Amino acid sequence: MKPKMKYTVFSVVIVVLWSLLAATPMSGQPLSAAYDSSRQVKLQGPVTRIDWVNPHAFLFIDVKDAASTFTNWAVEFGNALELEKDGWKRSTVHIGDVVSVEGIPARTESRRALAKSVVLTRTGKKLFTPAPRRAAALPAPAPRWPDGQIRLGPPAGKKGYWGVPSAKVLIEKAAASIPMSDDGLLVNLADADRVAPFQPWAKAVFEHRQRTILKDDPIMRCLPPGGPRQFQSANGFQFVEQKELGRILVLLGGGDRNWRMIYTDGRPLGQPDEAVPSYYGSSVGHWEKDTLVVDSVGYNEKFWMSSSGLPHTEALHLTERFTRTDLNTLKYEVTVDDPRTYTKSWAGGWTVQWVPDQEIQEYFCEDNAETTFVR
Amino acid sequence: MRKRVLHLFCFLACVSFLVPAFAQEGHPLTGTWAGDWGPTSTQRNHLTFVLNWDGKTISGTINPGPDAIPIASVFVDWTNWTVRIEADSKDQAGKAVHIAAEGKLDDVSSYHRRFTGTWSQGTVKGDFRLTRD
Repeated sequence: MKPKMKYTVFSVVIVVLWSLLAATPMSGQPLSAAYDSSRQVKLQGPVTRIDWVNPHAFLFIDVKDAASTFTNWAVEFGNALELEKDGWKRSTVHIGDVVSVEGIPARTESRRALAKSVVLTRTGKKLFTPAPRRAAALPAPAPRWPDGQIRLGPPAGKKGYWGVPSAKVLIEKAAASIPMSDDGLLVNLADADRVAPFQPWAKAVFEHRQRTILKDDPIMRCLPPGGPRQFQSANGFQFVEQKELGRILVLLGGGDRNWRMIYTDGRPLGQPDEAVPSYYGSSVGHWEKDTLVVDSVGYNEKFWMSSSGLPHTEALHLTERFTRTDLNTLKYEVTVDDPRTYTKSWAGGWTVQWVPDQEIQEYFCEDNAETTFVR
Repeated sequence: MRKRVLHLFCFLACVSFLVPAFAQEGHPLTGTWAGDWGPTSTQRNHLTFVLNWDGKTISGTINPGPDAIPIASVFVDWTNWTVRIEADSKDQAGKAVHIAAEGKLDDVSSYHRRFTGTWSQGTVKGDFRLTRD
């Protein structure tokens, strides 16, 4: 390659890489960190672009101010997969349609808002509103394999996955009534002591993350939802039990659409000292009657265990218990043992609802970064 | 020459975005810190801290290598992120030299969090500036 061309290619690669990386932090941002719910904004104008992507669908509209100057606003209005489930389509609104938007402005970026309502001005029709709650799946006992063991995935010949968790934040069992936002922002920071039995440094870090409105959450950089957080993803998860291989795959609908491996072949817990710590750790599982008990170690320190900002160290040891109490309900319990971070072991948990007859759909955290925000 | 400077700039710009993507979210002091100390802004001495948290105490080393100095104690006030570090070294004549660094952690959530403050080494007093590598 000629030096000049080599230089040009190198420069282009650098610029593209820089653009993508600069955009990434916006893509998976928790709502509290991204938007300031104490403020409101009203916008009206023609739609100039529609980004029908996950995890956040966006409309772009040209808004004219009093001085007749146009500014282009990015309006987030939902998750494309959820919107599709509710019957909305990309073609629900067209380029050039004039819409009125009431929303919450972004904290740091100008010209960006989260829509509370989108109205097609011409007809007055409200767009992208959630459909009435879908009927719960019919009650049925937990499905089983021919050998009598509980199936964690779909019943034979059926489809389905695990969807909505009953809690979006991990806290100590006894503290279940702490007031907080959906993404774990405490209403009263003085409740931090009740969230978990923190060591002093861990409490200081947790409070710092809370005070800074969770803005440094690694999820914002599309890093994987390690630890218990993988079971609180809005996009669900699935178990693929490969009994013949002595392992269970946990496929994640959220995060980077990655997977975790739980070995059930009787191998001992642990990993070689030189092994690279990871987001999902090294997991071994065994069945205690109808409960799958999974021990995991070998975690890295690059993720938050919960959206609220729970810290941990590489000493983290999780014991998870998965109990499918019926077809539609998975009880998840986790014991957190990290003596470098917490003064004692502690436990939390939630239930997860089965989504019958559907499969996890494509979701890439990075999608917004590569479409919406590279402008 | 200009191309080289531009390449270097581009590389550094990319690295500045890449590194936060691999942040360490555990104990805020754990890791390698690099910087310098000195009595004036022009008289500076290279400084590296390697710190580790074992669940009970923070231990570590100043300037790891043949002239490493073991850290004797680390005290952190988590209410205001101030840190005091003490160590004992020897000068070229073999005489004991006490080192005390007292400073504050800033930008705690950042991978490149900073630790700055005052430094005393024997009779010499100055300041130090460290950034987590």
